[in-house]
Order: sequence, then structure tokens, then C-alpha cells
Amino acid sequence: MNHEVDLVRDARRRGKGVVGIYCEFTPRELILAANAVPVCLCGASNRTIPPAETVLPSNLCPLIKSSFGYIVTNRCPFLMVADLVVAETTCDGKKKMYELLAEKQPVHILELTQKFEEQEAFSHWVSEVGKLRKKLEKTFNRTITDDDLRKAIKDMNHERSLLRSAFELGKEDPAIVTGMELAELRYRVAGDPVHLRMLEAFMAEARDRKKHGKFAAKKGAPRIMITGCPTAQGTTKLIEVIEECGAVVVVQETCSGMKPLDIQVDETGDPVEAIARKYFQLPCSCMTPNKGREALIGKLAKEFKVQAVIDLVWQACHTYNVESFLIDRFVREKLGMPYMKVETDYSDSDRERIKVRVQTLIEML
Amino acid sequence: MLTAGVDIGSRSIEVVLYDGGQIVEAITAISGAAPAENAKKAFFDAMLAAGARRSDVVKVIATGYGRNYFREADAVSSEILCHARGVAYVFPQARTVIDIGGQDSKMISVDGNGKVMNFVMNDRCAAGTGKFIEMVGLMLDVPLDNMGQLTENSSEAREISSMCAVFAESEIIGLTQSGTPVDVVLRGVFRSVAKRTLAMTGKVGLQKDVVFTGGVAKNAGVARAIEQETGVRLQIPSDPQVTGALGAALIAYDKMK
Repeated sequence: MNHEVDLVRDARRRGKGVVGIYCEFTPRELILAANAVPVCLCGASNRTIPPAETVLPSNLCPLIKSSFGYIVTNRCPFLMVADLVVAETTCDGKKKMYELLAEKQPVHILELTQKFEEQEAFSHWVSEVGKLRKKLEKTFNRTITDDDLRKAIKDMNHERSLLRSAFELGKEDPAIVTGMELAELRYRVAGDPVHLRMLEAFMAEARDRKKHGKFAAKKGAPRIMITGCPTAQGTTKLIEVIEECGAVVVVQETCSGMKPLDIQVDETGDPVEAIARKYFQLPCSCMTPNKGREALIGKLAKEFKVQAVIDLVWQACHTYNVESFLIDRFVREKLGMPYMKVETDYSDSDRERIKVRVQTLIEML
Repeated sequence: MLTAGVDIGSRSIEVVLYDGGQIVEAITAISGAAPAENAKKAFFDAMLAAGARRSDVVKVIATGYGRNYFREADAVSSEILCHARGVAYVFPQARTVIDIGGQDSKMISVDGNGKVMNFVMNDRCAAGTGKFIEMVGLMLDVPLDNMGQLTENSSEAREISSMCAVFAESEIIGLTQSGTPVDVVLRGVFRSVAKRTLAMTGKVGLQKDVVFTGGVAKNAGVARAIEQETGVRLQIPSDPQVTGALGAALIAYDKMK
């Protein structure tokens, strides 16, 4: 994360704007088009949770608490330099936390519509994306032209396609990359050329491993998909446990994996509408119904030759927790493979117990 | 030629030596503060009791929470698979296993060969586990071994609403302060444990025969409460605590073949 901190500070010195975001629903394209750096503020540390609990209830999801802990302790290096924070109304916990954040920092609420199948919902979402454009123009005192947007769309499509190619290394069987390595490829900052070069270097190294027959796991190691809540550097407990048990996490159907990379922005037509359409299709559990998630799990399971699906639910993430019932049924009945839900937090207290369950699932394969 | 299964749990250690036909030796020890060392001692005690040398034991499988730290083991296996295998040996007709150990409870559905079809595990807190019952015993001044007998003839049960070990303690204090007899409180605790455990049947079902294993299966009060809640008669092995270690020894033997 040090490079990301340096990058944001450096951008700041060069007069670029910095915009904090919390979620994959925020169109990075708009922020890049405003000549600003989008940086993800999602907390991934267990250490900031106790200070957060001095204000927030403890039965809230660890991601919200950890993020808020950085806010109350003034320890977030990104938040300190952010000109604006874009806050998405994904869940009730976040929505109300943003009201507390707004007392310290300029916050722009991006209202997500939740009925994915309705035209009115989409129209409203387009107007929300348009309003964010205006807000960014005002914050940075500049005009964002359609051409600025088109360039940003191209750049983000390129970045997503690179990241996607890197994640697709997980398709190799036997595995040439581990799930931990892939998890480390995610970046908090979008639009950074150093990150793109790092992705290319990683892919070259992986191709080299394949050429020399250097595999990342034993032949026949069980191939696992993680679905559900996102992981970040510092919250990879489940991936670690799975791989310690001798399996490989070949793909993540999460916001830290393939979920936001599946659909690109259309480079033709009205750029705002095209951007809105891409983000509107993100199969997040905050949407209802969220059939897109089953379709994506089904597709990835086939492409990555997955043998079992493990659903990661951060404690008190109600939408993913409830939706797990539908995913359980889908995975067992439609895909015919084992499914397991792991509900946990950022602490290490349940690591051994999770391991018992994961090891059982793997031995059963 | 012998194989060994060593189950290193949160509260107790079990060792089973198996010769391919029958159980040669089965012993139990306390996990304590140094479970890996205590397991090693129990393992050698078992060999001593059986008159066996270390070289007679050709394969050792460890299971339970301490499985990855036991140096004598040739391999490890999940305790869920070990319990299923152990149960199939004792009760081949078993289709559901309820296992309540020191710090977690599990419900496992099995086929006739000891293969696990599905499982659920309550793994987030001490609620409804052996440790919880131990705590209640200390509070009420009732030794674990007397609990079943004490509640045998009580006609009333005051259920406790909280299964959180900390809140349950306050609730039980409230009951005893107001003069509720110990047997009534205990029966209530057992009924609550039974309900909590049976909440897991939503995921795996409760197909007969149902076998009850783990240290808590030695508590007749809990067994009775589960039977009353389900209307199903439970099968309980004569030594329900060693089922996991037995399964590990059997799996070790299978691997030799």
C-alpha cells in the first residue's frame, strides 16, 4: 500500500485532485476525466475496529467499522488528502455511516437504484451519474467534456481488461498462480501506470512459470471459487486458510475479483449513459432481485473448472448473508457442486474453526 | 500391525489403537495448556497399555483442533470425516451424527459407508457446547457426571433464552436467586442446548438412525432433551468421546490397504 500512498501524495503535489470512494459502483471514469485520482477507502484492518466501536454499534460489518475507524482516528492517509468522498448507498450501515463522515469531510452521496430490471431505475441512475459529473466539475472548477469522458472510458477499459487477463491466469490447470498472488494484484488507486506495468510483469512471470513447468500448487489440488463479500490486503484470512489446506482459490466472484471486470463500458454512444449502463449491471447483493450473480458464478465455474464454491460473508452483511440461501441452492442444484458459507470478521479468532470446515470440504472432493 | 487415531480436541485428547479387526486400546486425557505434549504422552500411554512398541504402529492420523501440531502423525484428517467414519463402524445404520464437543457442535449426514454427505457446524461461540455445560455445572455446583441423574426425575424445565455463555450466566444467576431448584434450571439449560443444536437440522435434515457423539453425549440429560425435542431415539456409542479418534484410526487403516 506504500506505493499507493506515495502516488496519491505525489498526485496531490502536482495539483491533481483526489477523490475517495468506497465501492465498485462508483464510476472511476468520471473521476479520471476530472483529472483526479480515484482511491478506495475501504478499511481492511482489524486494528481500527475498536476505535470505530466507540461510536458505531459492534454488530455492524467489519468493513464499515474498519473504514470508519480510520475516519475517527484520522489515520487514513488517503482521506486526509481527499477533496471529496463519493459515498454509495449500497447498504444501510454504510448509508448512515456516511452521515457521520459528512461532519468531517465533503461527501457526495451517489444513490443506487435497487430494482435492476426497471427502466425508471436505470433512468434515475443515469441522472445520479450526471449529478456526480456536475459535482466533480464544481469541486475541481473545471468542465468535464464528453471527450474527457471518452478518453477515461478507454483508459479504464484497458485497465479492467489487463486486470481481467491477470485474473484469468487462474484458469490454468495445474495452477500457475495462487489465489493469494491474485488477491494482491488489486489496487486501491485506478489509472496508475505503475500498477499496469506491475500487472504486465506478473503475467510475464506467470507465462514463464508455465514454460518451465513451475506450478503454484500440487497437481490435482482442488479448485475453489470464492463468492460474496470482497477481500483486501489484510483481510485474506479465508484465502489463506483454503490454500493452507492444499486447495487453490482459482477465481473470486467478488468485488475484489471478477465481478466488476465482467462488463466493459461501451466506447460508442453517449458516454454518461454508457458509463451508467456498465455500473448498473454489477451483480451486487444490494440489488433485488440479483439474478446476475448466479449467472456470473455459473459462467466462472465453467471457465475456471471450479470444484467447490465458498461464500464469504462478513458478519452483519445482511444482503450477502440472506442471499447465500439462494446461492447455496443454485450451486448445489444447478452446478452440482459443494457449497459452503463462511461468516466471519477481520479477527483471527475463528481461523482454526474455519480450517476444520474448509479441510472437511476439501477432503470430501 | 497397528494404526492409531489421535483426536486432540479443545478440552480432551483421545487415542485409539486399531489392529484391522478391533479396537486394541482407547484412552482419554486432558488437553490442558500443552495439548501437543499431552497428546504425545497419551499416545505413548496407549501403546504401553496395549503392550505395543512405536514400530508396531505403522500409521498415525491426527484429528481435532490440535491435528496440525502433533509431530507423531503421518497425516491429518478433518474431525468431521473422522467422526462419520467412527460412527459408521459402531452403528452402520447411522444416517445422521450429532456431535457436541468442547467448543463446537456439528451435525453430519452420512451414508452407510461412513461417507459424509453434508455437514453444518456451529463455530462462532461457546453456545450449547461442552464448555458451556461445564460452566453451568461450576455455577450450580453440580459435577458433570451427576448432571444426567440429577435431571432424570425433574418434571419442570425453566428454559434460558440466551445461549451466549456470558448472558446465560446472568440469567441462571437470576433463576437461582429467585429460588428455582437446580434440577429445573439444569433441565432448562439442556433443553436450550438441544434446541440450539437442532436448529442446524434445517441444513442437513434428521434422517434415522441418529447417533449422538462427542463428550457431551455422555450427559444423559442433554441426550434426553434432544430425544424429547425430536421424538427420535438416539443411538449413543458406549464411549462417545472416542468416536473421532476411532475414525482416524480406521481411516489410517484404509490408507494402508
